Amino acid sequence: MVLAREEFMKLLCDAIRGLAASSILAGLATFGVVGLAQASDNKIALIPGGPHPYFAPWEQAAADAKKDFGIAAVDFKVPQEWKLNLQTELVESLAAQGYTAFGIFPGDAVGINSTMTELKDSSIPSAALAGCAQDPTDAAFCLGTDVYNSAYLGTKELIKAMGGKGAIVHLAGLLVDPNTTLRVKAVETAVGETNGEVTLLQTVADTDAQEAADQKINALLAAQKDEIGGMIATGYIPSVVASKSLRTLGDKRIKFIGIDDDPIVLEAIKDGFVAGTMAQNPYGQGYIGAYVLDLLAGGGCTIKEDATWIETPQTKRFIDSGTLVINADNLTTYKDDLKKVTTDIQSSFKDKYLTCK
Amino acid sequence: MADVPVNFFHRQSHMTDETISTERSRRGFFAGASAQIGLFAIVALLWVIFSTLAPGFTSPINLFGIGRSLAVDIVIGFSQMVVLATGGMNLAVGSIGVCAVMLTGFLLQDAGMPIPVALAGGLLLGGALGWLNGFAIVKTGVNAFIITLASASLFLGAMLILSKAVPYNTLPPEVGQFGRMRIWGYVSPLLFIAIAIGAALYVLYRHTLLGRQILAAGANPRAAEMSGVPVGRVIIISHTLSGLLAATAGIMLVARLGAAMPSVGGEDWLLPSFLGPVLGGTLLAGGSVAVIGTMIGAALVTTIRSGLLVLQVGNFWLQLFLGLILLAAVMADRYRGVFLERRSLGRK
Repeated sequence: MVLAREEFMKLLCDAIRGLAASSILAGLATFGVVGLAQASDNKIALIPGGPHPYFAPWEQAAADAKKDFGIAAVDFKVPQEWKLNLQTELVESLAAQGYTAFGIFPGDAVGINSTMTELKDSSIPSAALAGCAQDPTDAAFCLGTDVYNSAYLGTKELIKAMGGKGAIVHLAGLLVDPNTTLRVKAVETAVGETNGEVTLLQTVADTDAQEAADQKINALLAAQKDEIGGMIATGYIPSVVASKSLRTLGDKRIKFIGIDDDPIVLEAIKDGFVAGTMAQNPYGQGYIGAYVLDLLAGGGCTIKEDATWIETPQTKRFIDSGTLVINADNLTTYKDDLKKVTTDIQSSFKDKYLTCK
Repeated sequence: MADVPVNFFHRQSHMTDETISTERSRRGFFAGASAQIGLFAIVALLWVIFSTLAPGFTSPINLFGIGRSLAVDIVIGFSQMVVLATGGMNLAVGSIGVCAVMLTGFLLQDAGMPIPVALAGGLLLGGALGWLNGFAIVKTGVNAFIITLASASLFLGAMLILSKAVPYNTLPPEVGQFGRMRIWGYVSPLLFIAIAIGAALYVLYRHTLLGRQILAAGANPRAAEMSGVPVGRVIIISHTLSGLLAATAGIMLVARLGAAMPSVGGEDWLLPSFLGPVLGGTLLAGGSVAVIGTMIGAALVTTIRSGLLVLQVGNFWLQLFLGLILLAAVMADRYRGVFLERRSLGRK
């Protein structure tokens, strides 16, 4: 009996010690002394349509968003190929593993919608990042480049570099892509505003694949080099290919405005073969996307229906992730400018577009 | 017996002598069934492994996703299997599928037709395109590989010209709702459609004269012709059936996506169309079909694909695994062919 009481007392002491230790740890965690605490339990996946260098900054954006906003997990997951079914299977498998929100570049603007509807039915929010899903959609919003504005500003920049006159060529992406139609319109509008001083010599479409871009751009330069005063590319791959071709030609007379910040394009700007390039903000798309999805997945915030969304031909809930011209003047500082754009959008997003408890 | 590899000489005796040896049938049944039981055991083992290593594998959301993908893959496999039975192949399954998809979308959205009429229109187009393939093969005598390779581009090109590659995305909501419907919380109704089609094909090959004629024509066309089998007619019927099944798979995808898109089907269907039947025991040389085997073969591929995804094995490894599976299936097919040949020679 005495022994039993001793054992009981020992157990009681152990229990009190354990309770005290737990309380101390809990207290430390509450005050952020123990760095394991997470502000959110959400698991967020950022999923591009397939492998493409444009989305490489999403990996860093995911890591930074996880750290900065205390999200349990923000992961960058890439489908093995640019096929819608592979993307939707990846989304489904991640949802099965407990991911609570998805930032998706739609593998197909229409085809992704059924998956987004199913996610919504399971109370899992999703957003279209870098490219929009076609309305009607259950994507919470679309955060991407205003492609019309980017192409318009790029063409204006090209016309300025050409001295306000000459003939230009537009190197465009896939014809079946609705964004290509918008970009073609934007280039035509900017050219139209010159009252005939600048003419659109040709629009070369379907150049957003390496082989097609190589063949079409080099054939164009070989045949019409002397007639071309300037070129604008509105796709990542033709931008890189044209930068290489102009360097190979060694002719700085033809002015060129590309898109995105591939090192080959930046190097060509530095050496004077390329006048500039239109920066998009893939890092910001991933970073802000993860931040907002965390707020939505937590259940504390909902989308503000009457917010000042931009309306595009694809969706009524568009937010411009920012665009700017990179040229020789801001070659070394443009990343800071983009970071500022990202910070501005992120810090004002909650007030502008969300209703939070 | 439809799932039993049918040896031509054995079948020939069926065709010429109406009395079927019970002993031989039973022996053949167990030989064929054991191969499929083996395949089923592999699938079951993989399910145990994946569900142990990744608990999310058996979550309702994943089970539903697996079932829905599997349903489409099974029907795509059937559309290839029915022509493999004749010793031919159909490289145009994806093109026929997408043509049916776009016609169904057009009839539903632009023409405003009721859903059953639009579905019937899509299926009819699939059957008609399949019939065209069969007719061209029989009348020209050119290999099915060449004819269907050409028609794949022809059908796809015509679809793109007519539709201008614009998807139909405001279909009646019932279409998408059916694709998202869950029975018992995790089973897609599409899976029941695939199983029903499998049952119908089983009956066709196991219990009908037409089924036996198709297999006989596939095993040895000349001998079948001499035995009174209308070989040309059964080849055309098989291709028509293939087109009909490809259209069915396409319409199932319309329900899955809630939209009719020009980017579905095409070349993407080639690999799954061959993987299911060949893994399941259908001989590439013809004369044999494995309906249940095709379903299990498709289940194997879907299981591996889903399991690797849930296990978060690098996505780029999936392609390697699928290539290895196909290679293993082709080698197994070769071994099976040699085995059957030796067995039949031994019986003579």
